[in-house]
Amino acid sequence: MEREEAFEVLEHPADVGFRAFGETLAELFENSALALLSIRAEMDRVEAREEYAVEAEATDLEALLVNWLNEILYLVDARAIALRRVRVDAIEDTHVRSTGIGEPFDSSRHRLRVIVKAVTWHQLKIVHTNESWVAEVFLDV
Amino acid sequence: MADFHLHRVNETRWQIPRDERRGMRTHVVIYASDALMEHIRKDLSLEQGINVATLPGIVGPSLAMPDIHQGYGFPIGGVAATDMDYGVVSPGGVGFDINCGVRLVRTSLAEADVRPRLRDLINQIFRDVPCGTGGAGFVKIDREGLKRLLVDGARWMVRNGYGFARDAEFAEAGGALEGADPDAVSDRAKERGQPQLGTLGSGNHFLEVQFVDEVHDEEAARTLGLSKDQVVVLIHSGSRGLGHQVCTDYVAEMNKVMKKYNITLPDRQLACAPIRSEEGQRYLGAMAAAANFAWANRQGITHFLRGAFRRIFDDDTRLELVYDVCHNIAKRETHEVEGRKHAVLVHRKGATRAFPPGHREIPGDYREVGQPVFIPGSMGTASWVLTGAEGAMRETFGSVCHGAGRLLSRTAVRKGKDARQEQKKLEEAGILVRSETRDGILEELPEAYKNVDEVIEVVHQAGLARKVARLRPMGVIKG
Repeated sequence: MEREEAFEVLEHPADVGFRAFGETLAELFENSALALLSIRAEMDRVEAREEYAVEAEATDLEALLVNWLNEILYLVDARAIALRRVRVDAIEDTHVRSTGIGEPFDSSRHRLRVIVKAVTWHQLKIVHTNESWVAEVFLDV
Repeated sequence: MADFHLHRVNETRWQIPRDERRGMRTHVVIYASDALMEHIRKDLSLEQGINVATLPGIVGPSLAMPDIHQGYGFPIGGVAATDMDYGVVSPGGVGFDINCGVRLVRTSLAEADVRPRLRDLINQIFRDVPCGTGGAGFVKIDREGLKRLLVDGARWMVRNGYGFARDAEFAEAGGALEGADPDAVSDRAKERGQPQLGTLGSGNHFLEVQFVDEVHDEEAARTLGLSKDQVVVLIHSGSRGLGHQVCTDYVAEMNKVMKKYNITLPDRQLACAPIRSEEGQRYLGAMAAAANFAWANRQGITHFLRGAFRRIFDDDTRLELVYDVCHNIAKRETHEVEGRKHAVLVHRKGATRAFPPGHREIPGDYREVGQPVFIPGSMGTASWVLTGAEGAMRETFGSVCHGAGRLLSRTAVRKGKDARQEQKKLEEAGILVRSETRDGILEELPEAYKNVDEVIEVVHQAGLARKVARLRPMGVIKG
């Protein structure tokens, strides 16, 4: 199945969510990160100048996705980093190793859309069919 | 069709009876008018109220205020008390923004003094009160200082030159919850929060310059130092990245340990642990620390706000704190349940404490009129000052609503709208808006919210709180 889009934004009465797609688990994670980053900030002027290691663990796959996205959020929020994307280097059901690509936040070029407080566990879903992966995640903004 | 029975009890109360098939341990009580219930039924908030009724150790009903709307796990506008001995604590039941809250600052200026200089004032506040999107620090503090601040809250700020002693005294819990454990707050949470101290944040957080439009209770208004046409400032913010990270850390941890305590729940965001467990105690210590960070944060904002007023008006301009209340918190309190005193942990998720006249936790100056409660409406409409009433103590563990309640999703409200045009429309209505982000204006437009006056009417009629004054916005700073 060929899919053009990496993710779509889901409506929520107070917050916001996304449905991400991927042909592989790695791609699903990468597209989920892309959804989180682009809901949070305008990304067209973020340059790929530096790399940042992001790693996460969990007891199951859904928890792994939430923990990993929260790791990315910690990196961009606490360390003030603007990311273009996150590349998954290695992934299993309980462990993911990845690299964030971007540069330090610079308010003269980078713009936030909204501060994302956290990635939630609410109605969290990962579905694997024969040909693809789909994840649904809600964010607290 | 929803799989539950909702029936009307009287003009302002509704009930969903306990249903064991759904794992409910108690019933759900909802405070709403007909019109508000029509909105409430459109999203999942009632389902979420039922989910809360499944929490182990819940005491009394799962309560929903008229501003209730769908949250993640817990509904926003919900109250749940759990037994201190055999109940649970749920970080999601407090929320990612621990001690998100509002404070009202009264000024010595009248609307007529401010109107001619409003644009200068709003621009000055926008420059001086940071939104905190850039990652730079605004309050001088090192890691040792932060540890102390997590215990002392607003008092740390006062000691370090960011306010007056009175500011801490007139905050709920004196601006610092007991039992804070800075060591239960992860290094990441501290790192994330430190540069954001004294900043507003984004989303629904704001700072609003308003004036007293209507006084409904002269005596109470006088006691709170409020009078018609007086300019006041309402500040809505929370514990910023520090609190978000504390909640993130502990929801993840509780999801890991729930099996150990034989707890199963319909939504993982409800993750919880027994209050008496090691995880429960550590969370409560970390939550109190984050709550204290939030009071310090709103104190920092108040300090920067005073500076901005002094730059535009003269040095004699006084800005005094009326009160400061939190609306995302879990607090140890004693309440009467079925005629007996009961030690409970009251989870207020988008709900405000509203203690009635005479309660000893209310500052002496206000004790006779009851605890002040501030209910922000949307940026184009109105906000309210209320005081807690006896009904809240009898029925809602001393709690009331916290806002207007969202009606439209963020994507729905912005559809087909242009930020600059909307800003102009508000300006024509006498409300200046400045925002760090375009989304900040569009997603928080007045039509995104229920009518705050309707919400207030319900809690007033139900006897949970009393109307004191209605406030109208003149200028809004959004993150």
